[in-house]
Amino acid sequence: MTEQKNVYETRIRFKFCKKDEFKYLSHLDISRIMIRALRRAEMEIKYSQGYNPKPKIGFSPPTPLGVESMAEYADVLLDGDIDAGEFKKKLNLELKPQMLISEAKTIMEKTDNLMNAAAIVLYGFELYMRSSGNKDMLERFYEGLKEDLITNSDFSRSIFDLKITPQKGTSDIILLKLLGYAKIFKEENNEIFKFNSFYEFFENWLNQYCLNIKDVRKEEIFIMSGGVLKTPMEIV
Amino acid sequence: MDKIKRLDFALLGKLLKDIEKPGRYINNEIGTRSKSPGAVKDFQDLILMALVFPDIYEVGMSNLGLQILYDIINRHECFSAERVFSLWLDFEEKLRGQKVKIFSLENRIFLDSFDLIGFTVQHELLYTNILNILDLGGISIRTRDRKNRFPLVCAGGPAIVNPQPLSRFMDFFVIGDGEEVVISILQRVKQYRDNKKEKKWFLKEISRLDGIYIPEFYKFYYFPDGRIERIEPEEKVKKALIKDLNEFEIVQDPIIPNIKAVHDRFAVEIMRGCSKGCRFCQAGIIYRPVRKREVSSLIRQSIAGLKKTGHDEISFLSLSSSDYKDIGHLLDKITGLSKPGRLSVSMPSMRLDSLNLKLFELIQSGRKTGLTFAPEAGSQRMRNIINKNIEEKEMLDCIKMAFSSGWEKIKLYFMIGLPYENDNDIHEITLLVEKIILAAKERLSGRKLARLKINISINAFCPKPFTPFQWAAHDDTENLDRKFDFILKNIPKRYVNINWTDSRKSRIECALARGNDRVGEVVESAWKNGARFDNWTDFFKLSVWEEGFKKAGLDIGLFTRNFSEDEVLPWDIIDIGVSKEFLLKEYDRAKECLRNQDKI
Repeated sequence: MTEQKNVYETRIRFKFCKKDEFKYLSHLDISRIMIRALRRAEMEIKYSQGYNPKPKIGFSPPTPLGVESMAEYADVLLDGDIDAGEFKKKLNLELKPQMLISEAKTIMEKTDNLMNAAAIVLYGFELYMRSSGNKDMLERFYEGLKEDLITNSDFSRSIFDLKITPQKGTSDIILLKLLGYAKIFKEENNEIFKFNSFYEFFENWLNQYCLNIKDVRKEEIFIMSGGVLKTPMEIV
Repeated sequence: MDKIKRLDFALLGKLLKDIEKPGRYINNEIGTRSKSPGAVKDFQDLILMALVFPDIYEVGMSNLGLQILYDIINRHECFSAERVFSLWLDFEEKLRGQKVKIFSLENRIFLDSFDLIGFTVQHELLYTNILNILDLGGISIRTRDRKNRFPLVCAGGPAIVNPQPLSRFMDFFVIGDGEEVVISILQRVKQYRDNKKEKKWFLKEISRLDGIYIPEFYKFYYFPDGRIERIEPEEKVKKALIKDLNEFEIVQDPIIPNIKAVHDRFAVEIMRGCSKGCRFCQAGIIYRPVRKREVSSLIRQSIAGLKKTGHDEISFLSLSSSDYKDIGHLLDKITGLSKPGRLSVSMPSMRLDSLNLKLFELIQSGRKTGLTFAPEAGSQRMRNIINKNIEEKEMLDCIKMAFSSGWEKIKLYFMIGLPYENDNDIHEITLLVEKIILAAKERLSGRKLARLKINISINAFCPKPFTPFQWAAHDDTENLDRKFDFILKNIPKRYVNINWTDSRKSRIECALARGNDRVGEVVESAWKNGARFDNWTDFFKLSVWEEGFKKAGLDIGLFTRNFSEDEVLPWDIIDIGVSKEFLLKEYDRAKECLRNQDKI
């Protein structure tokens, strides 16, 4: 169906970050900043019809306030025939380094909107051990992760997977990748991963192993497509 | 100068944990222009000025004056300006708890590391916030306790045209337009710092500039009853004045707030000053004379500004936009820029009549959000007294026309407690609203009528310095409450939404606005007892203020009473550009309206 593309409009999916002090901005702030940047870059967004026309731009689910994100996504419908590479270049000139676009692709076929499609979110936690901790505790922590956290905790059903990478060179920093369901699959009965309540729980839970959270960031989001998890960019 | 001290970003992160709207305290908005230590070779040599807006970020960032000064100072290679706003209560508590001083947004420089701290003061109920910010910066609030040569502390803005209530806290005041004088001041700060001069030398130097009032150069003598006997020396401070606004381009690349500000729009000042002459209005006098921007350059700069900011709203500001003769042409050009519905245009001070209603339809581009009228008084008699030149018939005609073309929302502003007001004037407020509802019933069909909304805002009149009513008394609290209750009881209930500003708050506002230098003690003790954000009804505590006046041995009534026309007023030391004789003549004219009425 792609042989005769409508040259009067272009649908683009792009990925950007929200880092450093910009992690303190809300989802609404971020969308407002992006829309204004698009206007400055003279990218003409298509507007909806009707009484109160709205720009046709849709964002991926909100990242909690105070959490950095390397994986914010948006779909935008633009007037005219616009090259995705050009789009990225022009828009980045209007954005702060804390919010740059890393990837942009033209959407050829119809896709679900990002807000509904996002199924799983990957969070990276950086942990460190307080001086009162020891090796023994660390081992118990690894066991606890599998037993306690993934199998028995309130969050066991919403944690999809967990990967642990002790950082090379430093013994006291652990990188932990955690995949949480962002969305209920309508056909299955999974639970929504509530980040803030998990964070609070996790912080407390870590306490028993003398571990603290040093940093957390959203690293990627995934969409279920044909039975496989794909990033939003892989789909288009 | 001492080493510049800054807050570490990692520490900021810790402090911001669990803080409401942390976006208020970060920098890196589009349009920030302060010089940064990394990018400038001789950062230590710059004169650093903190531009302080003593209210929260969202309010301060909506102020055009702040953006103008920020732009002018940062264009200069020797100076750098950074912003400081009031902290919200939770962050104040956090900083005080952790013993961290308040800091600027741009480079997170602690307030006491600045060379010059300048407060821009929009209204009197922000006075306590000023003291709070100084204190949060680890700076003594009183001038005489600040023994170091730096930082210097000054204030400007409409709420310091009577500088007396803040005089004990400021090294100097800037009265009038800031555009030119701010650079002259900073140049002298540079000489003062580079040549290690004495503070006296600096104050003497700047006292030669227009618009600079230096409290320590004046002495006030009082009668036993608290009135001023005389001020020495008598020579007045002439306000700083920009003769031609066109010499200063509008700020086309202002700072664009990252979080939502009160006014999220590109602001354009089309005109400064007002020729209307409403007798209660302070802005109408202190911003005189009327100075207009030339329309073709205004159009050019507006287009450039919209392009540079990406804003989807533009606001044309002035005290009375209907008096800008090229307004139609300007709106035509700007609304023609984009497709309908994409760009909204607002004009807060546009006076509506049947002639320019079409203009309004144009700028609201079919959205018809609401129309605002400010008759201020209900009766023609009262409108004559205050010189508010609105005829009831003209207003009703316009409202009828508006209903016919689809508007369903009307906002009305009234004042009560005006000089010479009687019960009939109050009654006529309710009658006017009835007439509007009648007009709506006539013009709106059933379904639309059900959606009719009339929002009424009622404020207590507060006499302000440099107005013809500066001598008038502030109405009694009991009187104001009675009048308001009458309105509440007699106004139609259906369709009407009524909003009342606490008369107690306005009484304190009056005492601060017309206060002498002894009122500074009241401000100080109110602040010590927890007063801040006094303009927020939730925070305003009358008892704290009453206590403050009592402790200072002052009667609030001394400042809310009828002033006699021959007495020395605390602000007599300022020459605002309009003579006391003129104000007095206008006050007499108000009385004349009264007499003419009696004759009929």
